[in-house]
This record gives sequence, structure tokens and C-alpha cells, in this order.
Amino acid sequence: MKLLPTCREVRERLTDYAEGSLSPRERVRIWLHLLICSACTAFYRGLRALPGVARFLLPPEQPPPAEAAQALEGALRRIQGHQHL
Amino acid sequence: MNETELIAQAAAGDSDAFGALVGPHLGLFFNGILRILGNRADAQDALQEALLGIYEDLPSFQARSRFSSWAYKVCVNAALMFRRSHARIREDSMDALTGLGEFDDAGHHLDTATALSWSVAAEALDEAERRQLRECLVQALDDLPDPLRVVFVLKDLEDWSTEAIAARLDQAAATVRQRLHRARVRVQERLRAHVQGRPS
Repeated sequence: MKLLPTCREVRERLTDYAEGSLSPRERVRIWLHLLICSACTAFYRGLRALPGVARFLLPPEQPPPAEAAQALEGALRRIQGHQHL
Repeated sequence: MNETELIAQAAAGDSDAFGALVGPHLGLFFNGILRILGNRADAQDALQEALLGIYEDLPSFQARSRFSSWAYKVCVNAALMFRRSHARIREDSMDALTGLGEFDDAGHHLDTATALSWSVAAEALDEAERRQLRECLVQALDDLPDPLRVVFVLKDLEDWSTEAIAARLDQAAATVRQRLHRARVRVQERLRAHVQGRPS
């Protein structure tokens, strides 16, 4: 095994790396690669930023969409139907 | 009537109080379900089931947590149940890990010119650009095979732990991480291409 993994190997394992699920040796190999490879570092930074960016871009719809109001109407009809049985 | 009073009335069977209780949170609930199911008609059906579940479980609601947080969890669980019984499982090309970039024969990247961090560029967007990026993200999530999308949503949007997702979906944690990575890589590539003005 070479000390430094290739970019492809690194990019395939960056979520495992971020989650701490790699062996210490694998973790060090990827860390060393990131130390000297700006492209993979940018790729990793993008992956780490993705959850925050996605949450920022996807706030709940306001006002609630028509489908939500219809779901409530349907639920209320079924509740009231049960009560009148 | 405040929320505590609405909860008490609704738990006692007052359907009007129940409507008033959940009304302010409908957008939040629908959004959470839609993220998991990826289809508005399915989300409407699942929300209706979730609301009935909330109504039935209200007598056991403990005021230790916020009503909206508790009810939101009921909605996410209802979406997962609905997905298990109804969802059209799209597993097409799930194993292909695309979006990693271009590599030479030795496995090193060829795309240094396009490797700038798209996420930094995304932070500087104005309102119209942000709306476009949001549409791109929605489309990217919609295009994910179902098993990848649900893991991405639970982990990166709902902030579940990998272990909780593995337990809920009855998968190994390593499988969850692998699917999460595939989803993130595909979504990132779509957003990066959009920010950099390239067709995705």
C-alpha cells in the first residue's frame, strides 16, 4: 500500500473520513493527502458544507401549500366521521 | 386559547381545537414529509395519516418537549412508514459513484480548474440566484434513487445520527454511510455545476 492514496481513493472515502469510521492508518493517509491536495480539500470542504447549504436553501414553504390544507381537511373529516359513529 | 389549552381541548376530542393547534405548523410538517417522499401527492396522503396519528397520540403527549417538535417526529415517522408501504423504490444506477471528478490513469484528478469550493460561491448569492440554486437542489434530490435520498434527508436535513438511521431503516451503519456519500457527491456535483454555470 502506498503511503498517499490517489485522489479517486480519497474522494470515495471522505464521508467515512468525516464520520471517523476509518482505521487510524487510513485516516492519517487521507489527512496527509488533503494536506497537499487543494482540489480534494475543496471537494471535502464542499461535502462538509453541503448539509448547512441544503438546510439554508430548503426552509418550510410559507404559507403552507394547498396540499397541506387539504390533508388537514381530510384528517378532520375522518376524525369527525369517527365521532359521529 | 393558547397552545397548552388547545392541546387539552384537542386531546379531549375537540376537532376544531385540533385544527387550530396544527394549523400554524402545517408547512413545517408537509415540508418534512415531502423531503422524504419526493412527491407532493404522496406527501399529502402521508400528512393526512400523520395528522390522524398526532390526534390519536395527543392524550399521551408529554409537555416536556415542544408540541411542534414532537408532532414533527410523528410526521417523519409517518413518511418513513408510508415510504415503506407505498414508495416507488428507484434503485437505478445507485452503485455508480458519479460526480467525483475526472481522473487520470493513476487516479489523480484532472479538474483542478473547476475545483474551487462551490459552497463559498453559494453563500454570496442574491435572492434570485438563491431561488435558482434551491430549484437545482430540489431537482437533484428528486433525481436521487430513493434509498440515497432518504438517507441524505434524514442525515443532512433532519440531523439524525448514522446509527439512528441504520436502526430505523434496518441497514448496517456502513451501508448508510456509503449511501450518504453517494448522495452527497451527486448533489454536490449538481450544485457545483450550477454555481459554475456548467450543464449538469
